[in-house]
Amino acid sequence: MEDKINLSKYVKLWWMMTSMVSQNAFVSRFGAVLFVLGKLIRFVFFLFFLLIIVSRTQAIVGYTLWQVILFYITFNFIDSLAQFFLREVYRFRSYVVTGDFDYFLTKPIPVLFRLLFGGSDVLDIPIMLLSAGFITVALSKIGSISPAEIFIYFALLINGFLIALAFHVFVLSIGILTSEVDNTLWLFRDLTQMGRFPIDIYQNPLRSVITFIIPVGVMVTFPAKAAMGLLSAQSVIFAFIIGIFFLFISYKFWNFSLKRYTSASS
Amino acid sequence: MKKYYIIARNTWDEMLTYRVSFVMWRIRNIIQLLTIYFLWQVILPPGKTLLGYSQSLMLTYILGTSLIDSVVLSSRTYAVGEEINSGNLMNFLLRPINYFLYWFSKDIGDKAMNICFSIAELTLIFIILRPPFFIQTNPFYILFFVFSVILSLFIYFFLNFLLGLIGFWSPEVWAPRFIFITLLGFFAGSLFPLDILPKTIYEILRFLPFTYLLYFPLKIYLGQLSFLQIASGLAISIFWTFAIYFIVKATWQKGLKSYTAYGR
Repeated sequence: MEDKINLSKYVKLWWMMTSMVSQNAFVSRFGAVLFVLGKLIRFVFFLFFLLIIVSRTQAIVGYTLWQVILFYITFNFIDSLAQFFLREVYRFRSYVVTGDFDYFLTKPIPVLFRLLFGGSDVLDIPIMLLSAGFITVALSKIGSISPAEIFIYFALLINGFLIALAFHVFVLSIGILTSEVDNTLWLFRDLTQMGRFPIDIYQNPLRSVITFIIPVGVMVTFPAKAAMGLLSAQSVIFAFIIGIFFLFISYKFWNFSLKRYTSASS
Repeated sequence: MKKYYIIARNTWDEMLTYRVSFVMWRIRNIIQLLTIYFLWQVILPPGKTLLGYSQSLMLTYILGTSLIDSVVLSSRTYAVGEEINSGNLMNFLLRPINYFLYWFSKDIGDKAMNICFSIAELTLIFIILRPPFFIQTNPFYILFFVFSVILSLFIYFFLNFLLGLIGFWSPEVWAPRFIFITLLGFFAGSLFPLDILPKTIYEILRFLPFTYLLYFPLKIYLGQLSFLQIASGLAISIFWTFAIYFIVKATWQKGLKSYTAYGR
């Protein structure tokens, strides 16, 4: 019962913080419209690029057009979901440099929750909804997908989001130790962008690195492969173990970093 | 001229000061390059061709765009809008310095550092991946390739500068730049050579300045254009260089008249 009350408290808190950040985002309506437009243009152009490549070559490493699109859309959905919920991480550096982080530490809110979910980016909602719509279309176009495969696909999507969450916790932890956030974050974004295509295109050892060490493949490629029935039961279990392991390690690293915070800027 | 040389050298030193940021930026470039490189490698296995591109030509194109990118698309002028918005522009207006040359000198310093790193990265990629690479030996193509790169460098400088001048009328300088970068990512040709697009789209793109930033110089290098195509492409590049230059000049003059040094 108490857990339920706590959860609703956090949801309410997230809603309040998101509402306030959203008002900021719409201070310049012109800017907000342009940002959303830019994201949509990027989305449409990349789909067009995939369409052109597949129409010229028939398939990419054996995958058909809608399968290639499913890989891209899956990446896009997890990426926009992470950007929507975890946008506050992008502002973390300024909190450390200005000393505002000390202020968060004194508040009766778990500081990690505040830093991760302290202001969702509403400008990511259109692209998130578009991706969700395209997932439905791609899954129906691929055809012959069983309900079990669809269930595993969505379970692995959640697992992918948890891996993205773990990465963001790592970024925050590194930020505390070095006050370096932006570059680490963008490096993570570029690494995840490797998952716009099935990871089968990369040669070893790069493929192994993005499967086992920085599990972009598990995060993005595995869900799409599961939907196509190309992922073994062992790989599905492995994906969940990786997700839980990364989240656990990131939380441990966060605690390790927080203990070493010196409050030098305050 | 000496002061502009010092500005370029200072920019070089600035980049050495923030070494981690710069090295991370270059690592990101390598990741982006490898993603596209491996994609094209599997699309075009040895012996297969796509619209006149063999694996060797396509990978030369992709690796070549990476090098040209560091020459043409590395720029500091993204900060012009912020300078105007913050009122810092006033500092420059009071000094005996040409604001355009100031930014161009900063760009030269930035480009020099990026070129050095790009060459080192490509050397590493060559040693590790040993890609099939096309080496152009015809001096005719090499000469026109160099000339088109110089023109594209100016086109990009003026385009970027023009975007910064939005700061005279609006505090929102990043959102238009975001759209510009998105368009550039596709229409400059860093992901794919533009002539694999449907003919109608390509014919439209041929008249836009983006085409002449990366795609056109690389096509000359690969020796895939006739003399007539090179001449018409260079004519369009020259047209855009001067057209954007005059638009920048006119916008700058108009902007200065409305500039109130707000923020200072």
